Amino acid sequence: MADEKSGAAAGAATVPAAVAGAAAAAGGTVVEGRPEPSFEWMGLTNQWGVRVKPGEHGLRLGDLNVGIYGEVPEVWDDQTRRPRGALPRPGIPPLPYNLRAKHQMWADCAADLYEEAIQRRWIPATDVPWATLQPLPEAVERALCQVCTEIMQYANTEIEIITYWQDQMSYGYYEVKQYLAAATFDCARHIEVLRKRALANGGGLGLESKGAVNRMILESRGGWTESVVYLYLLRGTFVMQLLRNLLSSAHNDAERVIWSHMIEDHARHLTYGYDHLKYAVTHQEGEASVLQTLLTIGEAMMGAELKDGVLRSAMAIILGGGLEGGRTVGMESYLHLVGDYLRDYLALCDWLGVPRADQLNPSLSKYLEY
Amino acid sequence: MMQVFPSHAWFQAVREVYNGDASLHSGGGGACDTTAGLKVGDDGYLMVFEGLECADIRPAGEDEMSEADFIIEMPLALWKEMVANVQENGKADLDHTLNSIDLQQEESIAYSPADDQYRQDLFYRYNQNFQDFFDASSRVETIFDQA
Repeated sequence: MADEKSGAAAGAATVPAAVAGAAAAAGGTVVEGRPEPSFEWMGLTNQWGVRVKPGEHGLRLGDLNVGIYGEVPEVWDDQTRRPRGALPRPGIPPLPYNLRAKHQMWADCAADLYEEAIQRRWIPATDVPWATLQPLPEAVERALCQVCTEIMQYANTEIEIITYWQDQMSYGYYEVKQYLAAATFDCARHIEVLRKRALANGGGLGLESKGAVNRMILESRGGWTESVVYLYLLRGTFVMQLLRNLLSSAHNDAERVIWSHMIEDHARHLTYGYDHLKYAVTHQEGEASVLQTLLTIGEAMMGAELKDGVLRSAMAIILGGGLEGGRTVGMESYLHLVGDYLRDYLALCDWLGVPRADQLNPSLSKYLEY
Repeated sequence: MMQVFPSHAWFQAVREVYNGDASLHSGGGGACDTTAGLKVGDDGYLMVFEGLECADIRPAGEDEMSEADFIIEMPLALWKEMVANVQENGKADLDHTLNSIDLQQEESIAYSPADDQYRQDLFYRYNQNFQDFFDASSRVETIFDQA
């Protein structure tokens, strides 16, 4: 808890008594040409004497939200890099922090997710039991490498769009910036582990993705919330189904570790995304209507991408255990996967207050029969 | 010592195995802090994870289940099938992980009692921890309640 009694008032400029006696003033030796330390800045603080105590889970980012440091404003007008709670310095030129309203990026869980991401980091080089990889039938290896190639591009799209907007997010909402920094590192880890899997078992990278949805995500320039709609609600929910089905079809312990860790990381990303959208819809008038419009556009693009035969065929081969199985049970399993994705998506839209069931694009609704 | 599934003693025995073997804590990639509810037929349990350990597991009535971040609920026969599979293979095979069982059901086996998406997502964010916990049951001699 902050020691409120010892907190200096905003703008107070008293120099703490402990430093009032500088060396020169105290009669110490002054060396010619050496700058004399100044101490006037020491009293310049909005709140002093804060002593946050670790909780049962250690000293977490969210624990620091005490006193003025816990005041998260609805709008943060300061366009400098000033940390929230620090005293502003006159004359700092503005920087292009264009996202300055809380509803444009906030999620209550961001600080906790940051801690979770840091605590649950993993190391593909050593945490994956690579020695358990065994030769697979060539069609299955090719399919798996193709899926790795595809999902790598989802991950690098995620990095690019997060960093594009992160650059523009004001420091008033530093928890979100911190969390997103961790999320980009998760994505870098995913690119790493997928590349390693593709190159570690006699295969190689496959065909580049057509990338229509990647492009839609990267070109979503109306605001971070718009990007979150496409990145997490529309695409991310699908990716979760891919990862979960890949885990249930893992061929060895190495793959089990890869997919299970990726699921946990990706679930964190979705939690932030869904939580942010809920915040935006409930705190910004008209946002639900904007989301409806965005989803009308995005669903068409998602439907078009799902028609592409490469990912579909590769997943069918994996789920079916080979070429023959891919034509029958594998393809049925894949179609069921897409149906599950859409059922999850529609449930999330309902929860967000943006119901889509009656307006779902026909290119997607056809999968609901599976 | 033989333990009956489902029972509080069985879960406590699994908890001891899980907490006593650090190799079972690496799968989740780190600390896990959550309270999960388990509905096993007519029985309810609250399972508390703190850091790298399962700190507590205790029987819980319907009203106490609201304390859980999320609840895993399956028919008793499916719980038994999962535990039997773990006993047979040393860990769940690919058709009997929590993830696979969830994918196979019409309705998800995990839900938030408070319809809280953040808390429900913990099922996926900590999924491997729970899997490691149930895989630890392979080291608990188990007989099944015939009810």
